[in-house]
Parts: sequence; C-alpha cells; structure tokens
Amino acid sequence: MPSPVHDVLIVGGGLQGCAIALCLARAGKRAVVIEQQMAGRHASGVNAGGLRTLMRDLREYPLAMRARQIWGSLADHLGSAPAAATCEVRLGTGQIALAMDHAELDWAAARAADMQHRGIHTESLIGPGALHRLLPGLSKAALGGLITQGDGHANPAMAARAFRDAAEAAGATILENRTVQDLTPVTGGGWRAVTSAGDIGADQAVNAAGAWGGALAERLGETLPVSVLALSMMVTARIRPFVTPVVIGIDQPLSFKQTAAGSLVIGGGISGKPCLQDRTSFTIMERLAGSAAATVAAFPALANVPILRTWTGLEAATPDGVPYIGPSALHPGLWHVFGFCGHGFLLGPAVGEAVADALIHGTIDPMLRPFAPGRFAAGLAA
Amino acid sequence: MIAGPPPGRSDRMPPDADVIVIGAGPAGMSAAVELAAAGRSVIVLDMNAGPGGQVFRGLGENLAARPATDALLAALGPAYRAGERLVHAFVTAAGIDYRPSTTVWDLRSDGTVGWLRGADAGYIRGRQVLLATGAMERPVPFPGWTLPGVMTAGAVQTLIKAGRLQPEGRIVLAGTGPLILLLADQLRRLGVRPCLIARTDRLRDKVAALPRLRPRGLPALIKGLGWIARLRLAGIPVITGVTDLRAVGQDRVERISLRAGRRRIDLPCDLLIVHDGIVPATDLAHAAGIELAWAKAEAGWLPVTLTDGLAQAAPGPALTSGPCRIFISGDGRRIGGAEAAVAHGRMAAQAILSALRGGGAATGARLTFAEVRHSLVPRPFLDRAFPLGLAAGVPCDSTLVCRCEEITAGAIRAEIRKGARDINLLRATLRCGMGPCQGRNCATTVARLLAEAHPAATPAPFRARPPARPLPLGALARLTGADRALAEIVSLQDKPVMMPRAAEDTPDAQPRA
Repeated sequence: MPSPVHDVLIVGGGLQGCAIALCLARAGKRAVVIEQQMAGRHASGVNAGGLRTLMRDLREYPLAMRARQIWGSLADHLGSAPAAATCEVRLGTGQIALAMDHAELDWAAARAADMQHRGIHTESLIGPGALHRLLPGLSKAALGGLITQGDGHANPAMAARAFRDAAEAAGATILENRTVQDLTPVTGGGWRAVTSAGDIGADQAVNAAGAWGGALAERLGETLPVSVLALSMMVTARIRPFVTPVVIGIDQPLSFKQTAAGSLVIGGGISGKPCLQDRTSFTIMERLAGSAAATVAAFPALANVPILRTWTGLEAATPDGVPYIGPSALHPGLWHVFGFCGHGFLLGPAVGEAVADALIHGTIDPMLRPFAPGRFAAGLAA
Repeated sequence: MIAGPPPGRSDRMPPDADVIVIGAGPAGMSAAVELAAAGRSVIVLDMNAGPGGQVFRGLGENLAARPATDALLAALGPAYRAGERLVHAFVTAAGIDYRPSTTVWDLRSDGTVGWLRGADAGYIRGRQVLLATGAMERPVPFPGWTLPGVMTAGAVQTLIKAGRLQPEGRIVLAGTGPLILLLADQLRRLGVRPCLIARTDRLRDKVAALPRLRPRGLPALIKGLGWIARLRLAGIPVITGVTDLRAVGQDRVERISLRAGRRRIDLPCDLLIVHDGIVPATDLAHAAGIELAWAKAEAGWLPVTLTDGLAQAAPGPALTSGPCRIFISGDGRRIGGAEAAVAHGRMAAQAILSALRGGGAATGARLTFAEVRHSLVPRPFLDRAFPLGLAAGVPCDSTLVCRCEEITAGAIRAEIRKGARDINLLRATLRCGMGPCQGRNCATTVARLLAEAHPAATPAPFRARPPARPLPLGALARLTGADRALAEIVSLQDKPVMMPRAAEDTPDAQPRA
C-alpha cells in the first residue's frame, strides 16, 4: 500500500475541481486532480458563461455573492493578469430577466418584493421604459422584468482552462486523460485511487466528477440522486455590438448574451442527448428550435443572424436544484462537490475557496450548509 | 430540477421519399436518374441554383442562351458539353423532386436531413440517403493567400460558367493538378493570356508516374499534353518545380514572389489563381458520424465506405440508432472526376435499390462495378504525376491558417508547444475553426500542425456539431418536420421556487470579506 504522497486527491478537472486544487495548492497543500478527458471538457467549459446572481436560488445566494467578488478580482485570485484577461470577465453589464407576459411580470414583482423583504437589494424590478432603453431592438411585447446591475458574463472555455493552469502553476498536479479505475478508503485513514497513471494515495478525497459524480458516489456505496443532462448552447456569427446585459427568460427557454468576440451565445437550459458512458453528448436541433423562437420573439431583428455552431457538455442536476457540497455521510475524509444543475459556473471560485478551507481546517463554512450531500437520505428534501 | 422525458430512440417518422440525394453534380444526377427509372421517389437537394454541380455548372442555362454563349461553350470545351445528356435526363426524369438553392445543415445516419432554403428550414427523412456533395479544393495557406485578388481555380471556373465573367489584368496561375492546366487552356480560348503558369509539379513526377500508366489512362494523358502544348504554342510561359509562393500587397495582391530552382521570381500581378488538387468534401459525412480516415498523401480525410458507397459509421455513440442509411458517391467519396462519378452514381443507385428491397445482390452491379473500375484506371498515374504542391509542407509561422478568425500557424504552434494535443482544445482556446466556414478551410492544416509536433497521433478533425452550415435563427425558430419524440424538451427548470420566509432559512446575504 503506497503511503499518501498527496494531501488531497480530486476526481474531476472541471472548474470546481481545479478551483479547489488552486486554493489548496496556495495554502501549501499537495493536491492532485485526475481528469478523464481534458480539464473543463464538459459543463465547466461548455456552458453559457453567465456570472449570474439574478433569479438565483436563495440557498445559493451567499456563495454566489462571494463568487462574484472573486470574479471581480480574478487576476489576484489566479495570480496572473494575462491569464485573467483570457477569461473575458465582464461584470457590471447586468443581467435582465424578461417578462414577456403578465404572468411573468406578476412573478417578477413577487420575487422582487420577496428579495427586498429578505434584505437582498441587488435584484430589482425594471419597468418597460428603462428596459427598452437598455435593450434596443427588444420586442414591444416585453413588459418589464428583473435586473441585477452587478452581474455579467465570462468565457467559460477559457476560464476553465485558466483555473486549471493556475492550479498547476500554484503547485497542484493535474493529470488529464487519466481515468480513475477504483477509489477506496484505506484502513486507518486516507484514500487510494487506482488510475491509468498508477496508484495515487492521499489523506482526503474530493468527488468533483460533475456528471459522473453520482456514479462515483454510488460505487462508494452512497446514493446521491442526480439526472444527467447534455446542456446545449447555440453560437451565432459575430455581429455588431448591440446588447450589453445578459438576457434571460422567466418561463421562456431564453438566455442570451453577446460575447467579447461579438457572437451571441444562446442557451436556455435545454438538454441534448447525454452519453455518460461514452463521455460525450449530442445536440438535438429540434429542441433548440424553442430557444431560437424565444430569442426571435424577444428580438425580432435577430431572425437573420446565422447560428454557426452548437456546444453541448454533460452536467448533473440534483432533485432540488442546488448542488451537493459537503463531506460524505458515509466515508470520513471524502467530500462530494458536484450536481451544480447548470448554474455552477459563477459559483466555482467561491466553492473552491470554501471547500479548500474546510479540507484544511476541518470546519465547514455556514454558506455550505444547504448543500449537505446527505439531505435526501435524511428525508430533508426541499 | 429537470422536466421532460429521458431522451431515447425516437419513433420512426414516415419517410418523405425513398431516397434523398444531396447534390446534383455528376454522381447525384446519375444516381437520381437511375433511382427514378426504377420507380423510386427521389428528393434531390442542391445547394446550387441549377443542376450540374461544379463541373457542369450552368450548363443548361448556357446551352439555352446560345448563340450568345457559343464562344463560352467553345472555350469550356467538350468536357463541359459532355454533361448535356445527363443534365437533360435529370431535368426530364419523372419522379425526381428537385429542390435547388437548398443547403443541407444536418445529416443523421438514420436518413434524417436538415435543409435550409431562403428563410425556411426543416427536417426530412429518406429511407436511404445518397451524399453526392463532391469535392472541395485542397486548402492551401501560404503567405498572402487571403489577400483580395487571390482566388482558387474552382472559384474562377464558377465565375466563368455561372457568371459568364472572365478575369482581366496580369494573371498568374500557381499550383498543380490537371484543373490548373484545363483552366489555363480555357482562359486562353477566351482570349485571356496569363503572364505565367507556375507549377509545383516537375517532369520527374511524370517520369515516376509512368509505370502506373495504363492504356485506359492514355486519353487523360493526351488531353493534358494537348493543354500544355497549346499553352506553349500560344507563348504562355510555363515553369515547373516552383516552391515558396507568396502573394504580396497592401489591400490586395500587387505582386507575387516564388522560387523556381535557384531563381527567385518576382512579378507584378492583379490576379493570382491557385490550385492544389481537390479532396472529398467530408463535412456532412462527418456531421452524420461517418468514419473518416486520414490520408497522409492527400493531406486530408476520406470517408470510409464500401465499394458501392455504403458509408461506415464511426465507432462509438451516435445520436440515432439503427443501421447506417447513408451512401456516398462521386468525388465526395474518392476523387475520380466526372466520368467516374457518373459510373459510381449508377453503382450506388443499384446498391440503394437493393437496400430498399431489403438486401440481396444488386442486379447489374457487376457491370457497373467494371465501369467504376475502368473510370478510375487513370487515377494512380494522375496522383503520382501531380503530388501535393502548395500544400506539401505545413505553413510558416506568419501564414494565416484560419481565415475566418485570422489565426496564424505561429499562434497555433505556440499553443501546441504549451501542451495542447487536442484539436478541439485548439479551437476552444484560439477560436480557429469557429468562424462561418466551420473549420472546412483550416481543419486539415490545424491537424497537420498537431501532427508536426506529435507524429505518432492520427490526425482527427474538429468535433462535429450541428449545424454543419450557417442556419438563421429565424429559420430554426420555425423549423418544420421535427420528429416529435426526439423534439420533446428536456430542460433545467431554473426558475427558483419562492420560499417561505421563516427566520431560520433567511440566508445571510452579506458576502464574506
């Protein structure tokens, strides 16, 4: 049996895994990330890149606010201004949730009132006048919506890469294209992974395996329910800059932004066909038609803009819409950090910080309380 | 939270036709005529405004416009007129539903085809699909290749055939392959005198190719020698063994520079026409999950098919299940030229008829197989006589590789030195292959730059995702022919639930310092 040479072994080289490794390495811990494909190949690198607190689940709010702070000073966090620049972080562009009918408008008003009551003042109602000023070309049918000024977007493929590189530069070991064949607790403490890169021992282990997180937990005897999705995005040709805020729907499958390059990235949380075993997924254009229709309904002038390509990557969604972040209920020295339900991109840096902190000091930040992996087993489902 | 059913195999939608043929060049027309004659319903989707493909482009219109086009038809020569009977048979055949100006942007191995015409898009289904989308000119990045005034031989032919235009000014043709000599001869007949024909191939290539010459290849050789002889007679300079081509200019090409033996030649130039042979257009086959094999000698990929054209699905998962219903014919399968494409189109049609009957030997298959074999006899000679020229090596650092996003070979090499081994990672970090051409022009070069650093790895193309061609948002928004079972939305239900406001679950909204 090899003696642990690492402090923490992280399964999964997505944004969460690399963000944890970065903070661990910064604190002088020996972290190793084992990634079966390319770091950031799935949901981390292939998402819409929204830095969104708008319409976020309240349980994620504190973590989201902290994350937004880190994104705002990314050069410090990554330790490299050029690396941070590649991430194309645009905070302060705002995000707007469109109310296209009265039901959506009523919901928006109720949400805004609710947030005010809770003392959260970043999300507010926006009337039609201001809305149409902010979004030229918006259909007259739009009645209003919700806005957060401080939100924005970034380039997910580059950000996933930047966190990977920063973790490596800080001293973490990143092993890509290596599979974990077996992960077992060692009697007397610690973990051992049998991988295609040989055996790796560590004091603690983190399951940050994203879409594969549920399967890995299951193999360790722990049932953490997830559904696997192949979230798909459409990307258009570059067009003249015309929209600054990110625009999302309330009930519509609408989510679009103009990237730094000028292309529109259009999402809407629609899944293609996931192929978990084969580590790939397929876009289903029939399903994206709804997303295209919602976009054209909101911005009729976009009808002629060509879609050049689509993206899809695998992601796990939990039954209650928030991730699993916390220690295993079954195995000491194991953390689960997956199931981000398609909105983990913003959270990544704060998750990395909080989880690394907990692994090092053994105390869990109260921000992470709602995400306890055992919440379904204990009958606490929301 | 998620809504919707798990994605699974969709119920089969009723087919729109027995066979959908994509492309109306020699192979597509020949197959469609054969299939229609056998009583099968055929839909032909053609990107062009009229039948003919590249080689017989505009033939019908140019014949109808005589005598105004007499000089043009004479210049284009007998090889162009040879398509007359086939085009006529195609346009007069009963049972062919011809849909011109229609772009195919998605193809699935179960016979589903995504089409776009104007502002309308949809899916249709064939019980079998024949992919006859022909060839593309081998992409040849060299310094200055993206300057206005640099064109490919194929593009110039398009302007001549469909636009009835002819180039003017100081013209240089550079590169290799029979097409460059054919085009030079056509230009000569139109009264256009190129200043120089700069060939990358050498006499010693021809000598080396001679042992591969077969009697059936003689007509091709004689035709080629005729072109060269007439060009020489006309006093048009032809040099061989050219290397190191550059196009130089501020806003457009002003002069060209090249090396011929030990000499460096600099010439003023208004139009540089380049050509380095043709390769199968594999984008739709790739989109459909057909296996592509890297052909080093071609500096490109070839789709993997049986002799009759039946395409082989790449190993691994696919969007749709069931047997592969795609056949590939003509230059889109193997470069052979128009005659070979017509013969193979017939052969593929017979194989498709057999598949539609539920298998069994195709009647007359042996006869067409012999024809196909005969039509390909000149190829080994031609391939050896015209080896890769402008594309023989990978470009120098300053040369643009991806013209859509303006990415140089140097930028790609730098990323490879930093550790990138995956072509998709290069696309994600550099944006090469993300532009409107979707990597059609740069994929082979990027793959070869990777192979330069990692010779042991087999070059793989960019991961294919629909749409294979640009698809307007408005057209997708009004998509017709969607398979209901497949189209059923599976999505995140991201709208947060309003939570009861109790003291203990009010989160602390203050971010940590």
